[in-house]
Amino acid sequence: MSKHTLATLVAGLAILILLPFTQSNYGVFVLCSWLVYSISAMGLNLTLGYAGQVSLAQASFMGIGAYTTALMTMAGVPWPAAMIAAMVLCFVIGFLLGYPALRVQHHFLAFITLAFNALVVLMLRNEEWLTGGTYGIVGIPRPELFGLQTQKPLAFYFFVLALFVLMAVALYAIIRSPWGRAFKALRENPIRANSLGVDIRKTTLLAFAIGSSYGGLAGSLLAQLTQFIDPHSFGLTISLKVLLMVIVGGAGFFFGPILGALLIVLAPEFLRFTEGYYLMIYATLVIVLMVFCPTGLLGLVERARTALKLRQNPNATTWEAGR
Amino acid sequence: MTPVLSVRNVSKSFGGVKAVDNVSFDVHQGEILGLIGPNGSGKSTLFNCVLGQLPASTGTVLVDGKEVAGKPPCDLNKLGVGRTFQMLQVFPEMTVLDNIILAGQEHKGTMLSRLFGKPDAGLTEEALRMIDFFRLGHQTHEKAGSLSYGQQKLLDAAMAFMAGPKLVMLDEPAGGVNLTMLADLKERLKAFNQERGATFVVIEHNMEFVMSLCTRIIVLANGRIIAEGDPETVRNDPTVIEAYLGG
Repeated sequence: MSKHTLATLVAGLAILILLPFTQSNYGVFVLCSWLVYSISAMGLNLTLGYAGQVSLAQASFMGIGAYTTALMTMAGVPWPAAMIAAMVLCFVIGFLLGYPALRVQHHFLAFITLAFNALVVLMLRNEEWLTGGTYGIVGIPRPELFGLQTQKPLAFYFFVLALFVLMAVALYAIIRSPWGRAFKALRENPIRANSLGVDIRKTTLLAFAIGSSYGGLAGSLLAQLTQFIDPHSFGLTISLKVLLMVIVGGAGFFFGPILGALLIVLAPEFLRFTEGYYLMIYATLVIVLMVFCPTGLLGLVERARTALKLRQNPNATTWEAGR
Repeated sequence: MTPVLSVRNVSKSFGGVKAVDNVSFDVHQGEILGLIGPNGSGKSTLFNCVLGQLPASTGTVLVDGKEVAGKPPCDLNKLGVGRTFQMLQVFPEMTVLDNIILAGQEHKGTMLSRLFGKPDAGLTEEALRMIDFFRLGHQTHEKAGSLSYGQQKLLDAAMAFMAGPKLVMLDEPAGGVNLTMLADLKERLKAFNQERGATFVVIEHNMEFVMSLCTRIIVLANGRIIAEGDPETVRNDPTVIEAYLGG
């Protein structure tokens, strides 16, 4: 990592630490949702952006994580155990959901994961004895850390921020490791990867499992943030929202989903003054971005950088010429 | 000595068509075997059967005396079999260096140790040597997709060699490569063969390339072996001439 990148990261972290102090309780809540959705989108970015496996089920893993955490903590299980259980459960279910991906790809896989999301929502709605049905679960406790309550918005914000940083670092380590290389190879050319010794079976399943466990943790945090969950919070529209975060930010870029989540969580706040036109403006912006830059905002940044490099030194790279 | 590759009575049918019909041959350590034949003669199908990409209908394939039928390509690769593909097969969005490291990393340690070990699996130095060996040094940090066609062919070959395989199967390495690059490729392959004792099986349509590279040639037509021998013998074999000219 270059000094420049490191300085940017430190500055970014400093902003994340100081920013909530300038915000109202509502502002802190919005920041928390941004970080929570970022964790979920980071997971989907691994599955979709790096490993190339389409999934429309990320919200269902958030749901599984949220309900697991809610039910366990309300039954008296300590919150760390409940959160780890949520992640492990999502890892296992994500691993199993990866099996169809060994047979089908692209839009077929999209439909399978979409159906899975619908199935999870139905179960959350219909198994009233466990999930409270459409009424959901109310009064989910927030964690207590070394005798410190996170009931207050600021305290909870720092709890979420700590986990966000931890998960980002973990993801960065995975992406940089040979596993990350194998994930990208799976995305770019599974047949060639297989002939070079990459076990594409295991790699595919792990891409789903790890991505899903990130969804599980995000759901777990969402349950604690809102202290109320219902099946509606984990429907297909939420999966599409997380997908949009990944795509808008830039799939396969490390900071893509974080930037995407920022835009998509904050857009309603900024566009509030437009009142009824909010959704129309939002949809138009997404269409324009996708038409002109399908690689997302960070893809746009990379394109600009390459263009700049080429202008400074026309022989610097053959990247554009080779396309 | 046990042959590096032993193909015994391999057949492959697609519906009623026998693409490969009872083919047997051995390849010994250090050989460069050419596999030639007109279009549709079964070369690629035979390759795919040997490499586990397609299941053979009948027959067995042994690598170093070990039966490999039914093994997936990744396991075959771990046994020391490298390959290149007829169509370009690199990872375009990854750098040349990452392409090469990927080609070696799965042979280092276990899956778990690769997650927690060094990001490059300790392969950067070796990868840079391999990149230099294939004269791609000035492109190390470029994305593979930005290389010219011929350079990508070289990269493809370099990847096949990265894990130090006993046997490399090359599917039309010369296809679409310009003359200068072709001479380069041939010279690099020969050097690899002589310096490291690597064994090759090459499918190729470019006769000049095959005749000057290979030590032995097998000719396939309609899924069967119709001739075998050193380049000179094969070149003058009347059945071969007939098969090619369709007499």
